[in-house]
Order: sequence, then C-alpha cells, then structure tokens
Amino acid sequence: MSRQILLIVLLGVIFGVFTVSILELEELYNSFGKEYFLEYGAQQTGSNNLVTAILLDYRLFDSLFEAGILLIAVSGVIWISKHDIEEKNAKFMIDKYKTPDLFVTFSRLVYPLMLTFGFYVVINGHLSPGGGFQGGTIVATAILILYYIDADKETNIGLIVTVEKVVYLLVILVASLSIFTRGTFFTNFFELGASADQKAIYLVLLNVLIGIKVALGLWTIFTAFLKEGR
Amino acid sequence: MINISVLLIFIPVVVSILIYLFKWKHMNLIAFASQLLITILAVIYYNEFSANFEMTHIVLGGWDERIGISLANDNLSMSFIFLSIFSWWMVMLYTFKWGKTEHTFLFFLMFLQGVFLGLLQSNDLFNLFVFLELATIIVAILIAYKKKGESFRSAIYYLMLNVPAMLIFLTGIIFVYYTYGSINIFALTEEFRDVDDTIILRFSYVLMMAGISVKAALFPVFSWLPKAHGVAQSPISALLSGLIVKGGVYLFFRMNFLYEGAGFAYSDFFFFIGAMTALVGVMFALSQKDMKQILAFHTVSQVGIIMMGVSSADEEIFFGGILHTFNHALFKSLLFLGAGIIISVYRTKKVSEIRGVMKTMPVVSVLMIVGMLSITGAPFFNGFISKSIIMYGFADQGVRYWALYIVNIGTATSFVKMSQIFFGPKTLSYPLKNKAQNITLMFFALGCVMLGNFYIPFTEGFFGIPFDDITVASLSNIFDYFLTLSIAFVFYKFVIAKDYLPVRTVRNTQISFENGNLLFLIYIVAMLMYFIII
Amino acid sequence: MDDIYGIFKGGTLMNPILTFLVVLIGFYGLSSSDNIIKSVFSVTIIESGVILLFLNLGNFEGGAIPILSEGVTSIVDPLPQALMITTIVIGSTVTALSLMLCIKVFHHYGSVEWKEVLSREDVKS
Repeated sequence: MSRQILLIVLLGVIFGVFTVSILELEELYNSFGKEYFLEYGAQQTGSNNLVTAILLDYRLFDSLFEAGILLIAVSGVIWISKHDIEEKNAKFMIDKYKTPDLFVTFSRLVYPLMLTFGFYVVINGHLSPGGGFQGGTIVATAILILYYIDADKETNIGLIVTVEKVVYLLVILVASLSIFTRGTFFTNFFELGASADQKAIYLVLLNVLIGIKVALGLWTIFTAFLKEGR
Repeated sequence: MINISVLLIFIPVVVSILIYLFKWKHMNLIAFASQLLITILAVIYYNEFSANFEMTHIVLGGWDERIGISLANDNLSMSFIFLSIFSWWMVMLYTFKWGKTEHTFLFFLMFLQGVFLGLLQSNDLFNLFVFLELATIIVAILIAYKKKGESFRSAIYYLMLNVPAMLIFLTGIIFVYYTYGSINIFALTEEFRDVDDTIILRFSYVLMMAGISVKAALFPVFSWLPKAHGVAQSPISALLSGLIVKGGVYLFFRMNFLYEGAGFAYSDFFFFIGAMTALVGVMFALSQKDMKQILAFHTVSQVGIIMMGVSSADEEIFFGGILHTFNHALFKSLLFLGAGIIISVYRTKKVSEIRGVMKTMPVVSVLMIVGMLSITGAPFFNGFISKSIIMYGFADQGVRYWALYIVNIGTATSFVKMSQIFFGPKTLSYPLKNKAQNITLMFFALGCVMLGNFYIPFTEGFFGIPFDDITVASLSNIFDYFLTLSIAFVFYKFVIAKDYLPVRTVRNTQISFENGNLLFLIYIVAMLMYFIII
Repeated sequence: MDDIYGIFKGGTLMNPILTFLVVLIGFYGLSSSDNIIKSVFSVTIIESGVILLFLNLGNFEGGAIPILSEGVTSIVDPLPQALMITTIVIGSTVTALSLMLCIKVFHHYGSVEWKEVLSREDVKS
C-alpha cells in the first residue's frame, strides 16, 4: 500500500511540473519551422504533401534508419525464434479451430480491395495523405488476411527476407544518387530547379521501394510469430 | 572529402547487409577489408579535419541548417571514433575463425558499428533518438544471442528498462522543439546563449538527462548492467561495457554543452550521483563470486569515477574524466576478453573454483595482470594517470577526495581477490588453439602501457590540453598506490574472505523489475526537485 | 499568436494535459506490474501517450492539415507528424521484439512473472 502511495505522489509531482510548463508554453511558442515549410516546402521538393516532403527529402537520413530498424527487428525476431535442441520439450499451442465460413468469404471480398487501397496510398504519397510507410503497412495487413482464409498457408521466410534486404540496399542506392547530380547526399537526385513532375518521379520511386520493404518486413514478423505458435 | 563522415556510417551498414545476403564461408575476410577501408578513411578525414574548419560540419541534403539533419565532428568525437574503430577491430579479431563465418552475428555487429559511429557524429536531437533506439534494439538482440534461458530474461529486462527512458528523452525533445522551433544542436546552442530562465527549459533538461542516465548506467538506474553482462558472450560484454555505456557518457557531455548557455549548476548534483554510483558499484563488486559479475559491477563503479571527473567545472578535471573513459575502455575490454578465454577453458565462472592460471596459460595471465594493475591504478599504467589527475583536482576538498580514495581501496581489494586465480598448481592443459584471441589481448595491453607512459603527446594531439603542469608521477602518488594496495590486502584477508553475513546479503539483493522503474521515477523527481526548486 | 492557445479555451489546453496523464498511467503500470506481458503493454501505452502529446501540442483551432491545395493559408506544423511516423514504426518493432522474447522466456522458465523469472538460479529447460 505504501508503494502505491509513493508512486502516486511521484507521478503527481511530475504532472504538476508539466502543467506549469504547458502554461508557459503559450507565451513561448515558436513557429519558425511551420512557416518555413508553408513557404518553401512545395517548390523545393515537388510534393504537395508536406509530411512526405519532410520524410523523403529534408530528413531522408532519419527515414533510412527507420527502415533499418525494421530490418534489424525482422532479423532479430527470426533469429530468436529459431528452435534449438534444448527446446524440444516445450509445448506449443496447437491451432486447430476452424475460422467461420462467413469470415472467410468476407475476407476473400475484402482482400483485393485492401491491396488496391494499399497501392493507392503508396503511390499517391506526395499528393494526398500517405506514403511508403503507411501504405506498406496497409499492404502487409492485406496479405495477413490470407492467413485467416487459409490457416495452413506455408511461406518461404528465407526468400522474403532476402528480397527485403535487397530492396533496402536499393533504397540506400536511390537516396545516394544525389551525390552525383547535386553534390550532396540524401536528397532528390533532380536539380533544385527541376519541375515538380520530375521531382515526383523520385518521390514515387522511393515511396514504392519503402512500401515494398515495410510490407515484406511486417509480413515476416507475423509469419515468425505464427510459426512459433504452431 | 567532406562526405567521409557519411561514408563512415554507411560502409559498415551496407557491408553488414551483404554479409547476411551472401552465405559464403570466407565472408569474414570481406568484413576485415571493409574495416580496413573505414580506418583509412578515418585517418584521411582526421588529417584534413584539423586544418580546415569547414570540414567539421555537413548538412545532409544541403538544406538550411535549422531544417535539415546535420553531422558535426570535433576533437572529442574524432577521438571516440578512433576508439570505436579500434574496439571493433579487436572484437572482430577475437571472434575470427578461418573458414567459418557466423553470418547473423557479424551482421548485427557491423550494423551496430555503423549506428554507433552515427551516434557520435549526429548533430540533430531526433536523429540522436533514432540512433539510440536502434543501438538499444541491436544490443538487446546481441545479449539474447546465445539463446539460453538467462539470456532471454536479461534481454527483456534490458529492453523494458531502456525503452521508457528513451521515451522520456523524446518528451524532452518535444518541449525544446515547441519552444525554439528547431532541433538542430548547433542552432539551439546559439539560441540558448541568451535565453530566459523558464521552467519549461529546466523540465526539458531534466527529462533528457534522465533518459541519458539510464543509458550510462548511473546510480539508481544501473540494475540492467550486471544482468546484461553476466550472460552475454565475452566479446559482447567487452564491447558493451567498453563502448556502448561510454556512448551514454558522451551524450551526457553533448547535452551539457548544448545547455551551457542556460547556465544550470549541474556539477554538484552529478558529482553526488557519480560518487554514489562508484561506491555502490564497488560494494556490490566485493560481494560477488562470479567473475563476469565482478567485472560488470566494476564497470558501474568506474563509470561513477568518470562521472565524478566529468561533472566538474574545472577544465583539467573534466579532461581527466575523458581520459579515464579511454583508459577504462582499454583495460575493461582486456579484462573481459581475458576472462572469456579463462572461462571457456575452465568451464566455470566462479572465482573460487579457478586456480593455477599462471602455470596453465602464462601469456594470458601476464596480460590479465597488466589489466588488473591498470584498473587499480598502478604507476606506469594508464589507470594511474587518469585517477591521479582526478584526485589532484580534488586534493583540497575533503569529502570528495576521501570518497575517491575509498573507491580505489575497494577496487584494489576486489582485484586482490580475483588475483587468487593465478596461484596454484596446473590443473588443465591448454593447447594454444586460438592465437587471434591472444593477439587481441596483447593489443589492449600494449595500449594500456603506452597510454600510461606516453600520455602527453596523446592528450595534446587530441584534446589540446598539456597535462605536464600537473605532476602526476610524483613520489607521493606512487606511495599512495602502495598504501592503497596494502590496506586492500588487509581488508580482504580479514573481512571479505570470511564471507560474513552482510557480504552475503549484499550479494543476494536483486533489484526487481518494478523497483527498477520505481527508482527511475524517484530519480526523475529528485532531479526535478534539485533543478527547479533549488 | 494570441488566439492560438488560451486557458479559457478549455479544449485546446486540456488535450495535452490529458495526454500526459496517459503517459503517467503507463508509468504507473510499468512500476507496479508483476507480469512481463503487462510491462510490454505499459510500454506501448507510454509510447502512444508520448506520440499523442507531441501531436497535440502543435494542434490549434483553424489549422488545416499540411497538404497544400488552393486557399490553404494556415497549416498545422508538419514536422512533428513526420517525426511521429518514425516513432510509431520504432515503437511497433520494439513491441514485436519484446513479445518474441516473452514467448521464449515462457518456454524456458514456464512462467511470465517477473519475480519467478528473475530469481531462478540456473535453469535447465
């Protein structure tokens, strides 16, 4: 009991300091970043969606490592879930119940729609809300529905992981092409003065590659978990 | 030429992916080739760098500095870069087997190198957060690499303690962004020079420091370190305590340089935390029986000594602390790698069961003795130099001086206990199978001896501070060392060897998980009290 | 800038305060949970809270989404949204990794309670 009280007191102090800071924030709010993006964002990067402009042009370096985190997590999950000899006595959950027919039928209807929607979100990342990361997740969810339809589906994890790593190397390559055309790394490889349509080629290409990579990564993680449970 | 900073980060990453993709058995030679390439690039960059100031700062993408991500280098980060490249060479050499490559292990190792080199150079707060999270995940996977039961529980404990700390760091970044409009460290340093003292500024400082303290294993929140070290493989332990923990200390300096203009009086608070870390670390180290746990607790206490040095406002003590960072990386890696060899031959980790190492493996024992002399601060070895500098700084401030003295006695006692493994008859035969491991030990020992004797050109070259006005090798310091050693010997014989009840209770205390997080919250509130109210 | 925040406009200031409360609830859960899975959930809650906090502090009435089309003059800040996409991806991968580690801990120790798992000496599975 004394422990709960101590916890609540500590959290209360932190909360109090936070509230005081928020009240101060009203006067101190600085909107330099927002005004810069509103003024220059679209013409410098060729994309109407300013969030994609930041992710794929101003802060491309961060996005590369974000895709890298997915890569590491996938490899880590696969390595950890590989069974060693010591564990042959562990009991696995056996998945024997059958999915209801209604669910299977609806999944068959929904699957192509989700896939198309996912591709739409990926390709239109620079004009409407969306982009590689978001669209890739939607495509991965669409593929996961297949597991509900057919509970015994076998996937070749090795092939998917290899393709994913090759796609990641391609992403780094496309991002680094700008060293030859503009003299600096990690930005659009068209010139600063090129038209918006030309810059959009780079954005769509990068979005598609990142979308493929994210979809494959999430698919692999889910398959590794399913294999663990069988 | 200026893009070498980016190449230093990406060459290990790309090579690691190639190692994972192509399952050729001689792939570790490619890893060595890339490591050689990185070393050459780092040397070229360093030569250009000291002459030309513009080389130090690059904005990726050529955008405005406050909008894009930038990488920046200075003397401190260059020296850490060289230390990291050297440590990674040694770890790769230690785990090298001709004709057999562990692809997954090398993949994670090389990726971690790229991420760590990025961490050292990054000049943007959110980029630092991404690199820190990436390093946390890779280290958690490497801790769980052996896939025994204890590896998994240490890995999940490590992950569950570090990830909330990183999220607290992110909360600090939130406040800074909304108040100053940019998250570039150079731009923020300029802004902070004439900033008003507001609560929101102090709150963000406290949050960021709390997150970094967990990474650097400071006093209330170090409980993940001994668990992680006890179960990881020896080269991973060496890397973790020699370098990744120092990454936390490096970020501590960076954040303090950032907030320098705001003028917080942080030095007393962090000296106290450092002293507590050092004392508690030594206390736990004296009570352990497992060799790797002893070394892990010593890492905690040496980081405490580093923090005692680094938190002071006096420039020379500060550089004494940085020098101790380097020295500790060298001798702790030496001790961990040597312990790895000994444990793999004797197949047990308990100090009381290992005897006769000197007769069984003479080369390894001599090198281990070099390491032990360095960590206790013997003259002519590098520990002596840095400890003397820090103690010299506190020579006239009673309590601080005695705190450091007590920590030194504790360290010496524990290594007197560990040196028992050398005596005794030869019990096993040890065919010299793996020369590469002995060679890595020799490199580290060489580093210890060289830094112990020729430290002046090194510190002048990298930091620009001549230390010759501090008489380090004076007779009184040498006499101090022998006095410490004799007190330690007596203390050991009459107190520790008997394994009294207090020693046993200390050994069996475990910080449970919820208490670990409770301590983290207490630490945050204590810092809030200190920085905001006082 | 005067009409962006206002403590009298209860709506715009309550949002960050309530979101921070979510973060604190997550910390409460983390410090008083005896089950590893509960700790993983608490970390997820903390992460969701921090993401919402970042977005909420930048939100104000009358701001449009940061996609430029005709007639858009005042937008919400796009930088926090881009940073939070990265954070969401990081958070979900950390959750996946921790859950896989939980499964393995269960296989080796037979329980997912912190006390039991941390106090066993040397386990043969």
